[in-house]
Amino acid sequence: MSIHYLQQAVAIRERGEAAALATVIQTKGSTPRKVGAKMIIYPNGDIEGTIGGGCGEAEVIREALNVIETKVPCHYVVDLTSGLLYEDGGICGGTMEIFIERL
Amino acid sequence: MLNDQIIEKLQKSIEKRRETALITITDHTDRRMVGNRILLWNDGSQYHGNTASQCLTEALNLHCLPLMIMKKTKTINFQWGDAIVQCYVELYKAPIHFIIAGAGHVCEPVAKVGKMLDFFVTVVDDRPEFATEERFPEVDEVVCCESYLSYFQHVPITSDTYVLLLTRGHKFDVISLQQLLSRQEKPGYIGMIGSRRRIAGVFEQLREDFPNESFDHIYTPVGIDIGAQTPEEISISIMAEILKVKNQASGHSLSGEVHSLAKLGFR
Repeated sequence: MSIHYLQQAVAIRERGEAAALATVIQTKGSTPRKVGAKMIIYPNGDIEGTIGGGCGEAEVIREALNVIETKVPCHYVVDLTSGLLYEDGGICGGTMEIFIERL
Repeated sequence: MLNDQIIEKLQKSIEKRRETALITITDHTDRRMVGNRILLWNDGSQYHGNTASQCLTEALNLHCLPLMIMKKTKTINFQWGDAIVQCYVELYKAPIHFIIAGAGHVCEPVAKVGKMLDFFVTVVDDRPEFATEERFPEVDEVVCCESYLSYFQHVPITSDTYVLLLTRGHKFDVISLQQLLSRQEKPGYIGMIGSRRRIAGVFEQLREDFPNESFDHIYTPVGIDIGAQTPEEISISIMAEILKVKNQASGHSLSGEVHSLAKLGFR
């Protein structure tokens, strides 16, 4: 496990900026990232790190922007099982539970 | 909340080679508890980022400590009193402790690459003029030992300890190996530099004390065969072998496999 994104998160807080941290906390089946993968989301939608790309990641970014706004942490399940072929070519077929918190 | 002290403490703990679990309360009947973080160590000691989570001290030892002992990163659910709790337990392993015995010129590039690979690097030598921080500014620890004997008698050893013997003479290798082989704890890697003649001499002397030992687990001559000549080349050869052991890989060129697959064509 790498401490990099946590240190990055602390640095963002020290600068007094708003952002959210998304962490993959549970997975089922085949998923693009494993438990522990992290992504930082900024209010303008910029990201650092990845929780797997594609539609699932876009959904998490949208949720994270909401978390930055409301300051209430949330769980979001990325479901990659519906439809074997995503438009963007995601063909994983599992689910990932993401914990999203405001920094 | 992700607080600064907790991440700083986590980092310090990793640097000290203490395995640490970072626990995040990801769900709780009392919503105010969500997002709180706690550090947990193998001996059950804890550090709470926020006093509110201290009521869970006992519960965390009961539910999270077993995960830590199994070296697992995992999310768990449990009930504690009236509360339903979900914790995400993230394990931060201690980095590999890479001990280089003998601070000569091969040691310099080896120590550098060891740091590049995020190992905790110790350079040890019994000569004060060699074991200096000026010569090894990037390593974690430079030890000027009284003797290799006393050093290898006492240094903590686990399967995450990798030992590389680059000493100036075979009698120092013998002294070091006598200690390493007689200890209960076994390092994950032992490598020893030397010519075939020197190696034969070392094993001959060791056989007196360890008649039943095959010495097969000692990597010597050290390194992977890439025709290394200079200290820098030798360091790459040695570190490639160490990664091979750490990652349990073959050490072969990856292209070998692909060439035969390519002949089958793309299906």
